[in-house]
Amino acid sequence: MIVFAASDKGGTGRSVTSANLAYQRALAGDDVCYLDFDFGSPTAVAVFDVPAAPRGDGLHAYLEGHIGEPLRLDIWRLTEHAVLRDKPNGAGRLVLFPGDGSGGEFATDQDVIQRCTDLLLRLNSEFDLIIVDLSAGRSYAVDMALEVTARPEMRGVETRWLVFHRWTRQHVIAVSGLVFKEFGILEAGADRGHDKAVLRDAIRFVRAAVPDPESPLWSHVSPAQSAWMHACDETLRRLAAEQGIGDSRVLGTVPLEPVLQWREQLITDADVLSTQIANKETLEAFTELARRLTDDTYWGQL
Amino acid sequence: MRPPTDAADVVLACGEVRTGLLPSFQPLDSRAAAHLLQLRADERVRVSERPQLYALSPDTLTGVDCRLPAVDGAKVRVVGTVAARAVLTEGRVLQATAYFGAPASGPDRRQPWGHYLVRPGLLEPFGKLPEQAVAKGVLRGPQKGDLDLGLIAEGLLGQLRRHPLLDQNAPFKSAGTRLRWVARRAPDGEGPSITRFTLAEDQLRTVELRIPAAQEASAVAGLCEDLALHDWLLTTVVRMLDTSRLGAVGGAAAVLALRPAVDHLLHLWMPTARVDRTLSPLWEVLEREPGFSRQWQTSVQRIRDQLALQAIPLLREALASR
Ligand SMILES: Nc1ncnc2c1ncn2[C@@H]1O[C@H](COP(=O)(O)OP(=O)(O)O)[C@@H](O)[C@H]1O
Ligand SMILES: [Mg+2]
Repeated sequence: MIVFAASDKGGTGRSVTSANLAYQRALAGDDVCYLDFDFGSPTAVAVFDVPAAPRGDGLHAYLEGHIGEPLRLDIWRLTEHAVLRDKPNGAGRLVLFPGDGSGGEFATDQDVIQRCTDLLLRLNSEFDLIIVDLSAGRSYAVDMALEVTARPEMRGVETRWLVFHRWTRQHVIAVSGLVFKEFGILEAGADRGHDKAVLRDAIRFVRAAVPDPESPLWSHVSPAQSAWMHACDETLRRLAAEQGIGDSRVLGTVPLEPVLQWREQLITDADVLSTQIANKETLEAFTELARRLTDDTYWGQL
Repeated sequence: MRPPTDAADVVLACGEVRTGLLPSFQPLDSRAAAHLLQLRADERVRVSERPQLYALSPDTLTGVDCRLPAVDGAKVRVVGTVAARAVLTEGRVLQATAYFGAPASGPDRRQPWGHYLVRPGLLEPFGKLPEQAVAKGVLRGPQKGDLDLGLIAEGLLGQLRRHPLLDQNAPFKSAGTRLRWVARRAPDGEGPSITRFTLAEDQLRTVELRIPAAQEASAVAGLCEDLALHDWLLTTVVRMLDTSRLGAVGGAAAVLALRPAVDHLLHLWMPTARVDRTLSPLWEVLEREPGFSRQWQTSVQRIRDQLALQAIPLLREALASR
């Protein structure tokens, strides 16, 4: 299965959350690869804690046809993260295909589409799950993903979309626009030959870094502040429902996590159980989201 | 090694084979296999059904004028064509090879393309060929601007994977392997030999061979495809055993993990079934070290034992319910 990760803007938590999902699925025994298609700001190398940003041998160079094989990094072997170092018993493979620092988008060109298709078909026969991090907004990476998945040779490959957004007025409106409005993902998909209804049913939203008014984080706030937060949360829920991204289209919510506010990283059991720097709720949100990725009851027609 | 035509003698042949599972739920029968591998309209796919279903595509040619990979700073420009072909075994395992042969020396000036086209799969150097530097360079892998055999082989695989016959729904997930080979001419009067076989990291293997003058490069390619096929089978089955966590998980999970090996792989083991007879003794070398068939038999036995163990409770249940 291929999972594309999109977001309305940069800084939503798309990369960090999707990297954590890849990690959780690998822990659960799946062979997982993570493709950094956010060519403008490739960050996956930092999130997975692997040294040496690639120079000219990553996905960007591959798609442009400069090299025959994009660099692949075996996370369990290469990471400098002390906990990830020892691949847990029963874990599947976890492989990162980094982007290039070279940045920039490509000229739209059929050769790029062809190479992207070939790569995804190849990885699909090797990995249980392929997570592709796409640059923010209606980017070239999003268009490429839509174009590739519309091709007949991709018919047999199951594809799902996660669209990440923050829990604020502006983000809720922007992300709804990204998917449903004119020039949005659905329209762009239909232009490329996707069935709009099928595509819509393959899209779920993820609310990232959501402050929970009930969380102990806010236990010290005044009653007035607390009431205000509850009211805001309620207003946002209503707005989201109006914008077509109500709870039924949400795969999950990741709470605001102080560790992630400070540092882009994977949240491990050790962070919650032994050092206790991260919240249990965050880890639970990641494992549950990871599980729902392939739980069909959360997908399909509503 | 014999050249494909009356060109100068080939002293070095090099190739890369990529091997993987066909992305199809069902294996292809002989007709579908022939259809898949029909890379050219003017030449037929060779299909044989015994002792295994085996389909070999015609060669396709890629014209090149570039540098060969070489160590020690050697700069070797060659012109000619690289041959590429695909093999499907038992409608299940798909391989693509890109390979070429090269003579000890070539003309100092570039010839018209007609000259190269009548010598398919031959790359002619400008001047003398630094055989050893090129052999080492090919095994190490290309650097920027060098001829990339892996790219040509992968390009062919990619093209085949896209074929409408394939549903992209293989019965299990598996990684592909790459095998780079170089064959230098054996001293006159000596038989073929394997000088080295290495398991490098990242699914990469390398083989160094010595081959008598009478052999064609395509026969060497055939030998290396056979090696690559069996190495892939062994690699894949060993990995299945590793991930099935025998003993650690419940029996049902282990059965699910190992069942595809029984259904799709175990019957494919048939070393040298198709290899040219003068080259088949090379397999015996590999049987001693690293001992392919010994490892294979051990793995097969572990799988069979495991599946047999899992069957006992079922049997007991069946007997109890009588
Ligand atoms: N659940 C969370 N709680 C707090 N901060 C988060 C959370 N998820 C991500 N972040 C932080 O938000 C910032 C942006 O996240 P990132 O994944 O890089 O966004 P994007 O990929 O959408 O640009 C990073 O500093 C990241 O650590
Ligand atoms: Mg990002």
